[in-house]
Amino acid sequence: MTTDHATLTIDGPVARLALNRPEQRNALSVELLDGLHARVEELEAAPGVKVTVVTGAGRAFCAGMDLKQVVIAESGDPELPHRLLSSLGRLTLRLRALPSVVVARVNGAAIGGGCGLACVCDIAVTHGDAKLGFPEVDLGLCPAVVAPVLVRKIGPGQARRVLLSGGVMDGHHAHTLGIVDEVSDSRESLDETTDAIVGRLAAGGADALAATKSLVNRLDGSLDASVVERGARLSADVLATAEAQAILAARLEK
Amino acid sequence: MIECLTRDSICEITLNRPEKRNALTPEMLAELASHAEALARSEAHAAVVAAEGPAFCAGFDLSYCRGPEGPRVMRAFLADLSRTIVAFRAAPMPIVMTVQGPALAGGCALLGGADVVVASRNATFGYPVVRLGVSPAVSAPFLRQSVGDGPCRARLLDPGPIDAERAHDLGLVHELCEDAAQAEAKADAIARALWAKPRGGIAATKRWLNEFTDPGDTAAAALDVSTSLTDGDETRAMLEAFFQTRDP
Repeated sequence: MTTDHATLTIDGPVARLALNRPEQRNALSVELLDGLHARVEELEAAPGVKVTVVTGAGRAFCAGMDLKQVVIAESGDPELPHRLLSSLGRLTLRLRALPSVVVARVNGAAIGGGCGLACVCDIAVTHGDAKLGFPEVDLGLCPAVVAPVLVRKIGPGQARRVLLSGGVMDGHHAHTLGIVDEVSDSRESLDETTDAIVGRLAAGGADALAATKSLVNRLDGSLDASVVERGARLSADVLATAEAQAILAARLEK
Repeated sequence: MIECLTRDSICEITLNRPEKRNALTPEMLAELASHAEALARSEAHAAVVAAEGPAFCAGFDLSYCRGPEGPRVMRAFLADLSRTIVAFRAAPMPIVMTVQGPALAGGCALLGGADVVVASRNATFGYPVVRLGVSPAVSAPFLRQSVGDGPCRARLLDPGPIDAERAHDLGLVHELCEDAAQAEAKADAIARALWAKPRGGIAATKRWLNEFTDPGDTAAAALDVSTSLTDGDETRAMLEAFFQTRDP
């Protein structure tokens, strides 16, 4: 069950969903997001899945938005960034709504929207050398789609500091802040750490896991679609400003 | 007693009453509130709030709350404190606070307006005001956002302070430094890094964070709770007892 940009394999109670665009460090394009939506739709219909592991093919987890699709002069389509952001927003809602527990196996760089994708998973695991963070403000952007996700994960006070400061951090620091829940010392030991968590989760009752996840969603407002829509609009509006477009175009040149 | 100057597009606001541990007089707090409100119209890319001397801020100078005008002064203190916190949050640029010593009562409440808190190890944090018959409720909507509901409850009800390391663990402090000089240097470095970023993205991000984490009516309700006690017999008696022990 594969498409070009997102792959899904199901092995008993454990599903594995991979971003599969390694040559672009799994950057989020409309096509990649379409692929993820299609695979999540399959998951929604798959019986008996208790744990879904999300990971990136190759060395990166997800480098964030595809630069080629957010530089309007490059794509020639001023509405494309909003479609992209809106699609990411809807994906965050769908991952939260899945009855299985979603585990991010952050195998490498998780940047911007990519870090948001890791945070919207119920549990995130990485290794000490991975780079994670939200450098949107460094590029004149506003991480409005992922901000509510980060606020729910680490609280408003820490999220404020992280999002306004920009930059990236290593896996250990991300663990200290609560952006990831477990960290392995090295890339090599990431699978061991992930497998241990997946094994524990898969030993749980499917209904108990789903009911618990659903309750936590209700408590923290995870399924609030209006905040996602407003976030996508705001993020796209800031992205379209001359200041942001100039910085992104310069980035693309490099 | 409040200094405010903007240098290289960084606004520096300094509490400058070190001989009284930067305890806020009514005039000083009103001035601080005005500076905080003026940030809405400022072109600065970041603001740093710091304090002179060994203490960050000991809260309200309660000597102004003696006598028949006491309750009225206390109400003005509380209203201006709330106004200051709300104005710092609404400011379009990030607010960095440098806590180089004790930040107590109203001094701790000020941190509710910070986006980044840098502290030195000798700093302490807390609300020792229930002992005076005063409620620190005015802080609650902001404190719970930085430390979560459980620790917020404990800190507002227990008049004992916590040290900087604990405050860092709880998330009230973001950067922990060895001493005041290092804290000052760290805050300066953070402000400079913020200064170098495009302003539009930062302002939009802060506005968005404010929008969907808006404490809403609870900020006004919290002020009402603190204010409602000021005319009560308990506050009057406990404050009078405090003045007697301090100044018999």
